[in-house]
Amino acid sequence: MSNNSNWIQQAVRRTPLQGQQQVFALIALALFMAVVIGALYLSNVADTSTTGRELEALIAERDQLEQTNEELRVEIAELRSVPRLIARAEELGFRQAAASEVEYLVVQGYNPQRGLTVAPIEEETEQLPVYDETLMGWLQQQADSLSRQFNEFNQSSGG
Amino acid sequence: MASPPYNKRYKSTDQQESLRRRLPVLIALMVIATLYLLVRLMTFQYQPSFVMSYYNRLANYNYNESQRIAAARGIIYDREGQPLASNTFDYEIGISPSLIAEPQRVATQLSAALTDYGIREIDVLNAVRSGDPWILLAKPVEPRAAEQVRNLELLGVTISAQPRRLYPQGTLAAQLLGFVAGDDSDQLLRGYNGIEGYYRDELAGRVRDETTSRIPFDLPENRQVNDQGSDLVLTIERDIQFLVESELQLAVTENGATGGTIIVMNPRTGEILAMASNPSYDPNTFFNIEDPDLLRNPAVSDEYEPGSVMKVVTMAIALDLSAVTPEDTYVDNGIIEVGGIAIPNADRQARGVVGMEQIVVQSLNVGASTLALSVGPGNFYEKMNDFGIGRATGVDLEGEAAGTLYTPGDPNWSESNLATNSFGQGVATTPLQMITAVSAIANDGLIMQPHVVHQIVDGNRVYPSQPSTLERAISPESAHIVTDMMVQAVEQNLTDARVPGYAIAGKSGTAEIPTPLGYEAGASIASFIGFFPADDPQVIILVKIDRPVDYWGSIVAAPIFSRLAERLAILLEIPSDDIRRGLEAEGGTVNDIWSR
Repeated sequence: MSNNSNWIQQAVRRTPLQGQQQVFALIALALFMAVVIGALYLSNVADTSTTGRELEALIAERDQLEQTNEELRVEIAELRSVPRLIARAEELGFRQAAASEVEYLVVQGYNPQRGLTVAPIEEETEQLPVYDETLMGWLQQQADSLSRQFNEFNQSSGG
Repeated sequence: MASPPYNKRYKSTDQQESLRRRLPVLIALMVIATLYLLVRLMTFQYQPSFVMSYYNRLANYNYNESQRIAAARGIIYDREGQPLASNTFDYEIGISPSLIAEPQRVATQLSAALTDYGIREIDVLNAVRSGDPWILLAKPVEPRAAEQVRNLELLGVTISAQPRRLYPQGTLAAQLLGFVAGDDSDQLLRGYNGIEGYYRDELAGRVRDETTSRIPFDLPENRQVNDQGSDLVLTIERDIQFLVESELQLAVTENGATGGTIIVMNPRTGEILAMASNPSYDPNTFFNIEDPDLLRNPAVSDEYEPGSVMKVVTMAIALDLSAVTPEDTYVDNGIIEVGGIAIPNADRQARGVVGMEQIVVQSLNVGASTLALSVGPGNFYEKMNDFGIGRATGVDLEGEAAGTLYTPGDPNWSESNLATNSFGQGVATTPLQMITAVSAIANDGLIMQPHVVHQIVDGNRVYPSQPSTLERAISPESAHIVTDMMVQAVEQNLTDARVPGYAIAGKSGTAEIPTPLGYEAGASIASFIGFFPADDPQVIILVKIDRPVDYWGSIVAAPIFSRLAERLAILLEIPSDDIRRGLEAEGGTVNDIWSR
């Protein structure tokens, strides 16, 4: 380590105009750093402005799509207005029903005025099994299952 | 080294001396100038507040753009979710001349897209050459034309959207909905009359001032804020409203009338299913109408003398106060004098001994006056107040009138008012007040709060309206007795109001039209209020026709009620009485429209 530093010191000492070179090197280094930092800054700013432009375009597109949606909703509503529906229905051969043509039926079990709960919840709710499985129990189940399959295979191949 | 010549050395010394003398002066001047600049800088920094705010505004203007943004207005739906009032956009097309690179091409393409708006090539070229920073070319422009211009992708051509209220059903429920207009003070849209007026704040949403940075390096903010107005779901059913308006238009034409009103209401809940008046207007072009009175909703804003319909209220009051019983009788001489004024029956005929029911069935003025006299003014007007006569119902519509009912102690009241009020003269109500009062009879004596908004939807939150009772006007027993009398009135006298298969309870009214100089000669307001099925009322309907050629409510309004009720029974799936009872006997429960 000390050898290295000596070599550098000697090299610097031996160089003529070493003072000016040092200054020049420092200035060049500073310029290089400034250029690098400037380039990074410009790159960052360019990225930011590009993203900003893209965001603005997307926001404008979203607003435009919302406006289009509103206009389409209005168009649908106009197309489904009562006079249009009546005209279309008449074109298709429909006409208004007369009171005598309406038939009312009894739907067994249907009660339009019943409450939301139609049967006691407790009676229809199944009791969930108690979860009491252990790791050893599960391993035992797997072993039993394998053993059963093995036996079944043996029986079927033997028979 | 050679020494400088004498004269040069002399000059140098002289210069040095001159410099030595001038330098302090120069330094002093520079110090003064610097101090002056410092003072100026200080004064710039510490200006009075109004100057500071001015410069701040200038600075903000350079860096930011501010604009006031109105939130999207809430949509109004009918009960089935069909939009009755919605939003759309008109567009504003302008150009920034400094950004136009190819004026001729822009002029050709733009004028072709905006031909319908009278824009010619020369107009565009003149605008480009004007040198102004921005020029408006066309406004308002329909969405399709704006889309065409947008697709041209012309640099320097601006398209900005201007929100506009649109009523996709046209004139349907116009007076009920109200309208929306711009306010000159802040260029924002505001609702007026009807629902748009009553729910102005709920529908408008929140207005915000938004600042956008002009600096390109600043990232734009996400401006999507949920501040739009609440949507309203009405109790109105579009199909019923359309049916009612069609029938009303037909009725006005057939009867040579000047106008009319029909209201359909659920007496059990106070929900208004339809409300229409004629003549009406198109709220999309409200600014084109010549008569501003058309903008009002006569169903809640216009008062009229209800006439004989009021007799059912008088009968209900007398029965409820036990002033009479259904079995009582009185002697009808065809005329009665009250407060010095002779009051005859409409046909000026005496009936002799008459039962209570016949007062309603034959619509006897003398009988109604006798009832009011037997009750007495104190009790009579107290009960009239319970029925909501003379006060606003509080319906959620802008512009409701309170009606006019003079009571004892009022300078305009005299003893004869007690008699005339009993059969609907000298008292003024709105159509909504009158149907609300009679709905108490249909609803076992309870008056429900009439309303038109079923739900308010604010984002993910839904606020349903609950039926609320305004008053118990009479007992259920009194209500049932009067209902039976109204059924008999239709069966025996108002036969044009009958609907095959249904028991209808109803009463007609024929009222004169008051003017400042007395009653208008030969003109009347013919009306009918009825509900059905009488034993389980689902719907109550008011029909009011203004100045028909035929004078009487029983002739003009009763048939309209009948036609309308028959169609409503189908639309609302109300089976006829026999079928309903048959279904109930089989174990069925007939659907109740108020459970929907």
